[in-house]
Amino acid sequence: MRFVGVDLPLGPVLATLAMLTCAVVLGHVREVSQRRTAEEKALTLLKQWLSPAELAQYEKYSYFEVTGGDSGKRYRIRPSRQMNVDELDERGTRTAAWCFGPEGELPIGDVMLAQKIALENNERGALALANRGSFLQSPPRFG
Amino acid sequence: MAQQIVMDVTGDTRHEFDPTDAAALAEARARFKQLTDAGFTAAVRKGSGISQLVRHFDLAADETVFFPRLRGG
Repeated sequence: MRFVGVDLPLGPVLATLAMLTCAVVLGHVREVSQRRTAEEKALTLLKQWLSPAELAQYEKYSYFEVTGGDSGKRYRIRPSRQMNVDELDERGTRTAAWCFGPEGELPIGDVMLAQKIALENNERGALALANRGSFLQSPPRFG
Repeated sequence: MAQQIVMDVTGDTRHEFDPTDAAALAEARARFKQLTDAGFTAAVRKGSGISQLVRHFDLAADETVFFPRLRGG
């Protein structure tokens, strides 16, 4: 086999390529597995810090609602990385979405817990950092 | 045993310590200061679903969670 003008034996080249491919695939599998473990760990922590009502809501709908410590407004925290905090009116209709979270690549459960703690204890401070989106229509409400 | 739970890419890293052990307590206090100085927010669990932000090491806290500085998304 000629490669860039150099004669290379085909067998060792193919073996090296196979080993490299295998290493890349194994690395990816390990990364996915570590990420999944981190997500599970973060969800366990989140569930431990939710109230029974919040936990029941989360188990049923994959989101939970908290009350802002300063305004008394209700917020729905959904499992997503962006614009996942909905501000609700008294009828539970979404009036705005807020985007904020802890720095770094944390698992979703950690992000949601940090958002809950921040809204309940330092709502003004959290929203002062956040980006706000407005909505004319609310997504369907489940329960 | 008390616990300091630091959120990170692995989910979290947990540091358990015996609050009656002076050396362990000093280490936990130092860790609290190091993390909050680095911008982490500390919160203790006060009851079911109830948390409270703390700016100083809380001797009585069974569980303190630390999360990195918040930013707008």
